[in-house]
Amino acid sequence: MTTESIRIDRLLPHPPARVWRLLVEPDLHARWWVAGDVQPVVGHRFTLDMGGFGPQTCEVLRVEHERLFAYTFAEGVLDSVLTWRLEPHEDGTLLRFEHSGLDLATPAGRQAFEGMGRGWPAVIGRLETVAAP
Amino acid sequence: MPTDIFGALANPVRRRLLDALRAGPESTSRLAAMFELGRPAVSEHLAVLRDVGLVREERRGRHRFYHLRADGLAEVDTWLRPFEHYWTQRLDALADLADLLDEETSRDD
Repeated sequence: MTTESIRIDRLLPHPPARVWRLLVEPDLHARWWVAGDVQPVVGHRFTLDMGGFGPQTCEVLRVEHERLFAYTFAEGVLDSVLTWRLEPHEDGTLLRFEHSGLDLATPAGRQAFEGMGRGWPAVIGRLETVAAP
Repeated sequence: MPTDIFGALANPVRRRLLDALRAGPESTSRLAAMFELGRPAVSEHLAVLRDVGLVREERRGRHRFYHLRADGLAEVDTWLRPFEHYWTQRLDALADLADLLDEETSRDD
């Protein structure tokens, strides 16, 4: 099964503990993204209220305190995975975001990957260079 | 009206329209017949898909044809771009909130 990813890195001038709270505390999470009963506990199932996309079911896959948080995203629609990696950096935290599993098995993904063939490595290469200051 | 990729993909009819276009471009009227929907409804769904860059519109005389925007090397990143755009915005918001919390914390001191 072919799956591909969106990857975006951000250097944030804040310690990992601060960034971690934004990812795992529902009150803060709702302020920068959407409401949901997110919890940093492996196996925890929660929903993210994605507006017109509807409430999306998620399940926590991996938790490493202040280092890594991964969960399934949009079960039954995109069947993808969001992974947040936090790397300590001299200027704060390097936040490495990945939306993976955009794949052929979903109706939306299937059509998109038809005929793309050799295009992917170049696309991924370009995405990897996307990094805000 | 959905304004981002998740809104566009939220609707099962729109996902089926994308699926139908895998076989090649189709006109609004053919799609309407396939889906047993009125043309206005189909046109509205196609407009949403077009606005987020998942399909493109081509006029042929009096008819409009719709193409998947995933049909060649040049189109590849068109599929990912709405996602990338969405997440870039969300990460901007996260960074802004992190900054704001700093200010709130320093005010509390």
